[in-house]
Formats: sequence, structure tokens, C-alpha cells
Amino acid sequence: MSVEDRLLAFARRALSVLVVAASAVPLYLLIKQALTPELESFAWPPVWFPRSLTLTHLRAVIAGGELSVALILSAKVAVTAAVVATVLGTMLGYAMARDPRCRALGLSALSATRLLPMIAAAMPLATILIWLRLYDTISGLGLALVHGALALPAAAILLFGAFVKIPIELEQAAYLDGASPLAIFLRLTLPQVRSALAAAFVLSFLASWDEFGFALLLQPTNRTLPPLIYYYTVFGDVGAASALALVSAAPVLVALIALRPVLFHGLSGRSR
Amino acid sequence: MNRHGRLLRLCFLCIPLAYLASQFAFPLISGVVMSFQAGGLSLANYRFVLHDRLFWQACANNLVVAGLSLGLEFALGLSFALLLGSMRGVSIVTEIAILLPFLIPEIVFLSVARYILLPRGYLNGALLAAGLGGVGWLDPGSRMALASVIVVDAWHVTPVVTLLLLGGLQTIPAELYEAARLDGAGALARLRYVTLPFLRPALFAALLLRGVDALRIFSTVLVLTGAEGTPVLSTYAYQLWSDALEPQIAMAASVMLALLITLLSLAVLVLRRRAGGAGEPSWDYLAA
Repeated sequence: MSVEDRLLAFARRALSVLVVAASAVPLYLLIKQALTPELESFAWPPVWFPRSLTLTHLRAVIAGGELSVALILSAKVAVTAAVVATVLGTMLGYAMARDPRCRALGLSALSATRLLPMIAAAMPLATILIWLRLYDTISGLGLALVHGALALPAAAILLFGAFVKIPIELEQAAYLDGASPLAIFLRLTLPQVRSALAAAFVLSFLASWDEFGFALLLQPTNRTLPPLIYYYTVFGDVGAASALALVSAAPVLVALIALRPVLFHGLSGRSR
Repeated sequence: MNRHGRLLRLCFLCIPLAYLASQFAFPLISGVVMSFQAGGLSLANYRFVLHDRLFWQACANNLVVAGLSLGLEFALGLSFALLLGSMRGVSIVTEIAILLPFLIPEIVFLSVARYILLPRGYLNGALLAAGLGGVGWLDPGSRMALASVIVVDAWHVTPVVTLLLLGGLQTIPAELYEAARLDGAGALARLRYVTLPFLRPALFAALLLRGVDALRIFSTVLVLTGAEGTPVLSTYAYQLWSDALEPQIAMAASVMLALLITLLSLAVLVLRRRAGGAGEPSWDYLAA
């Protein structure tokens, strides 16, 4: 091992310690704030290790009122968005996998979607939704529909990757046996991409669950979790904001850590 | 397969694309139309925006934030990708830690970042404990607030850049490193002559993706400093829309942002073509 190599190994070790600290400290502070009484949260100098613990904030999230309403609304919006994104993503992914012209067209459309600044679509969309009576509703349907479109590109790419791996010869054989293309798709091809469907559903759910900008503009009073966390953070209820943040982060962390193999594979081509 | 199959594929292509158009393209177009309305068809909204000092400040901030945070996250992302890619047994703890800021919801991450950077927050608390004075990390309108936004944004998105570059690293054959080593190339020479050239397509893809995200930065600014604290184009438009109740002028401002993003991403694409040898572009970034 040369000096250069050894130096590099040391740099790597140092970097990984730094990274773990940079991620662990914020997460620790979040959990601490969610569990400490308000008085301690506002202490100066800040209290690093809690002197007393309380479940008041977490209980308030579940007990009813604004917090639990937001929790339920977020879940409803995210499920609707995930269904929309998964169904449409399956269609687009299949078309792209089986036809090169569809692939080119689909990829350009998905890339164009990525370029769009949220604010430029959200403001006029609010006007349209007011007109359709879908703006700021209790059901959050207007927001759910946009979230479905937002999650669509990732879902389509993920399912495209799954469909491409299925040999077309299988479908051709079924076609020669007299099955219709739709029946072949539904009964033969679709069941083979079950895990990709589940991954697309979960990722779309999380994308909606996390989304802030559209939610802020389209649901100004019937708030989902992210805008509510924003208001509590900026206007000062540390305990409630952190408890809410913790509750909204928990399912995401669990799902994504469980999905890590799929994610890593999907995002970087790495398999293990 | 023939006609029937083609019909099915056509339906499967058109329905999702029509849906995307209904949610994004149609609002965008109606927004562009709105931006030209000021009691009749006119350029008054654009004239207002172009004569507003705050707009130019937002423009400048937007470019500074995007440029510096891109630089920072590419430097960090490349280091992390190299760290993850070349250590065979990365501990699962390190791996999750690298991904964590990307895994937790954006608003949760920003909420904690705000608590850390507040005047009576954890960072100033740590400085106090070390015997140093506090710093106004988020003072509205200050350079420090701009720097805080940049650092927090980079902290948040570095994992995405890491993942994209890691994808690029996987395409480099291990034999090349062996050969370079046998030829006496040190670690830095291997980085310069083997890793970086092969990483170019992934770098461009990441630059395009992250460049767009960096330009449309919104929530980081809103949560950390408020819309007035460090105005960028998105928050400038948001303020006109929600506080000043000037939707048409707000639309004019956001159309300018969309134009800026389109022009700069076209520039990146041209640059990539110029650089040549990029090969088939990677579409992984669409999934991120």
C-alpha cells in the first residue's frame, strides 16, 4: 500500500464518520423535541439531553383535532395518488417497453414534466380547481389528482424496467393461441411484475405523503401533514411540530429501508 | 403482434400522457395566458416584474443559490459515491446514514434544520458551549442566510447526486483499475484518467436533474428564512400570489422562472453534445 492509498483509506474513514454524524444528529434532535415538554424545548442554552420525557405531543397527534385530521387527509390523498400513478404508470411503462416509438415519446413527455417549476403549474391549477369546485376541499381530491401526475414519471420508469425484462415471445405465443392483447397483458404479463407494482405504489404513496409545494397552494386551510408541519415549525409549537414530523417520517423510513434493495437497484443499477 | 396489439399500446400511451397534460401542460398554458392579462391583453405584468427591484434580487439569489449548492453537492456527492463504490464492505449504517436526509420527508428535514439554525437554536448553543458568540445564521436579507440556504439544500440533496454517480461508477470495468495500477498510476491518477472520464454521462445526467431542482428551489427558502428573507423566483411569485393577491403578476414571474430553467437545461444538453462521447443518456434520473 502506497502512502497515497493509505491517505485515501483514512479520508474514507473520516468521511463516513462525518456522514453518520450529519444524519444521526438531526434525527436525534427531532425525536428529543417530540418527547420533551414545551418548557424545555424553548430553553436557552438548548438542552441536548432531555431531563424529563412526555408523551403529550404524540398523544395530541392521535387524539383528534387538527393534527389527526391532517394525518387522515394525508393518508387519503396519498392512497388516491398512488392508485392513479400506479395504474397510469403501468400503462405507460408497458407501452414504452413494447414499442420504440412509444418509448421515445414517453421519455420526452416524462423529461418535460421534470423541467416544470412547481409554482408555474400550481398557481393556475388553483384557479382551475376553484372553478371545478375541487380547490381546498375536505376530501383533498384535487390535490390527490396532481400528486398522481407528479408520481407518474417515477412509477412509469420503474414499471418500464420490469416489463422490458419479460420476453415478448411469451406474449406472441399466447397471441397465436388466440388470446386478445388486453387479456394477454392482464393475465400473462401483469402478474409477472407484481413486485414492481408494489414498489411503484409505495414510492408514489411516499411522494404524495412528502409533497409540500402543491399541498401548500392547493389546500390552504384543509392542510395535509407537510404544510401543517411547516406552520407549526414557523409559528412556534416546537413539540407539536416535532411530534407531527416524527409521525410523518416514521412510515417513510420503515418503507424505504425495507425497499432499499429495489431502490438501489432502480436508481443506480446496483444489485446485491 | 399486429394491429390489435398496436391499438392497445396506443391507448396505453395516450391515456397517461393526456392525464399529464391535463395536470401540468393545461395549467401551464392557462398560466401563460393569465400572465398577459391586465384588464385586457397587455405586457403590463411583465413590465411590473422587470421594474421591480425585488425581482432582480430574487433572480440573482436564485442563480447564486443554484450555482453554489450544485458545486457543493457535486463535490460531496462524488466523494460519497467514491467512498461507497470502492469500499466493498460498506457498513449498512454508513449507507443508510448517507441516504437518510433523502429518505426523511423534505419538510421534516427542513423543520429540524430550522431548529438547528435559529438564533437560539442548537448550533448557536454549541458555539456558546465552546465559548464562542452566536451567529445570525438566518438573518433576513443577510449573506449568511443565503449561505445557510445553500448548505442546507446541499445537505438535503447530496444523497440523490451520490446515487446517480454511484450508478455511473458501476459501469466502469474493474480491469481498467487493475491495468492502471499495474502501469504505476496512483490513486489520484486513477481518479483523473479512469474514473472521471467514465463518469461523464452520469455527471451530466445528475447536473441536468439537480440543476433543474436547484433553480426551482422553494420550500428550503420558505421554511428557513421565509419568503422575504432570501427571495428566490419561486418564493417571489408565491408572495405575489398569496400575500399581495396579484395572480397575474405572479404568473408573469413564474413564467420567467420556467423560461430560465428551460434555457439553462438546453445549455446543459448542448454542452453535453459538445463534450461528446456521452453515449446513450441515462434515464435513471427520471426515477429520482
